[in-house]
Amino acid sequence: MKRIIWFLLPLFLFLGLSVFLFQGLFSDPRDRESEVLAEAFPPFTLPDLMDESLSYDNSVFDGNVTLVNVWGVWCVTCAIELPYLETLKDQGYRIVGLYYDQDLDPDFGTKTLERVRSEVVTTLAKYGNPYAFNIFDVYRDTALDLGVTGAPEHFLVDSQGVIRVHHLGDINPRVWKNKFVPVLRELGALMPADEELSADVRK
Amino acid sequence: MLGNKSLIEVSKSDSTVFVSFGSISSAMASFLTKLCFLFCLFSSLAIVVVPQTHAQNSVPVAQVESAEPNASEEPIITAENYAFDDASQRRVFLDLTAVLRCPMCQNQNIADSDAMIAHDMRRKVYQLLKQGKSKDDVIAFMKERYGDFVYYQPPVTPVTIWLWVLPVIFAFVMMLVFILRRKPTVDDDIQDKIAAANKLLKDE
Repeated sequence: MKRIIWFLLPLFLFLGLSVFLFQGLFSDPRDRESEVLAEAFPPFTLPDLMDESLSYDNSVFDGNVTLVNVWGVWCVTCAIELPYLETLKDQGYRIVGLYYDQDLDPDFGTKTLERVRSEVVTTLAKYGNPYAFNIFDVYRDTALDLGVTGAPEHFLVDSQGVIRVHHLGDINPRVWKNKFVPVLRELGALMPADEELSADVRK
Repeated sequence: MLGNKSLIEVSKSDSTVFVSFGSISSAMASFLTKLCFLFCLFSSLAIVVVPQTHAQNSVPVAQVESAEPNASEEPIITAENYAFDDASQRRVFLDLTAVLRCPMCQNQNIADSDAMIAHDMRRKVYQLLKQGKSKDDVIAFMKERYGDFVYYQPPVTPVTIWLWVLPVIFAFVMMLVFILRRKPTVDDDIQDKIAAANKLLKDE
């Protein structure tokens, strides 16, 4: 009996280790807890991307549930999600861009503001424009305060200016249904087109 | 580039730490059980000791250039030529960029990474140091935004304490097993047994 236990012990140790390592295969190292979730949107005063005489601060969130999209024309995934974001805008959601420029380009040097603007106009004309307006994060300080690691990232901000969802990566119908619709329903800001969507989920 | 130069120094000093631990354990081992036991002991000690010594080792031995006098300028977003007030501030900057982890390129520190976020974090570290913030302030600032993840030294919490405790427990258990399984020396018995055998033979 004792001998059998000594034979089985390495087997169980091996099985335990295998289960532990097997789980590791499916864990996402980028899946971290956001530090800004349920926190107020960090204070900012930034100009409009298209018109530097316009200035925005945290009052842009007052009274509206807003989806803030951190994006840039240099980011391919951002361009891919633009058509879907536009359909969300058409459903009645308010989407605001936080423009995150990649001016650190070792091959082509620093871009001028004019060039950035013309590229933004071209991109939005080509793929769709979901934005109510674009806030230009000039030194990317606000993105740093938000814990942004790259583009695209999304923040759902409620009418009190508190961040309710922090999503890394693109928004597609699946992400929208699973991650955003439940929170929007809780906030009472779900648009009629999505009421059916959430009913489907419950079935 | 200033950041890249510092990293080479850091990685060199790290690798020497590990090499020295490896050579100690192999030199002291004389036979198999002892080797296994010592290896376990030293590797567990290395795990316990290295995180603490890392912070000291990571101060690069790089040549400290004299600070440029025109330090009052606002930092330019694209240029990575940071001018410091004095040599110690530069040293703190190099130290911090070596121990802060890039959230984008996860296995690189921000001195090494070329991700945009690493550029931004280096600039932020510089700005905060220029504002007179201490090393701990800068680390706290980054942790507030990117979590404990951003600092290579994990905090001791009920979850992470096992990182330090488990190797020590393992070493003690192995030491216990080593002591308990050690068989008594059989030289005296053999003499007795030969005598008993001889006696048996004689009786026959």
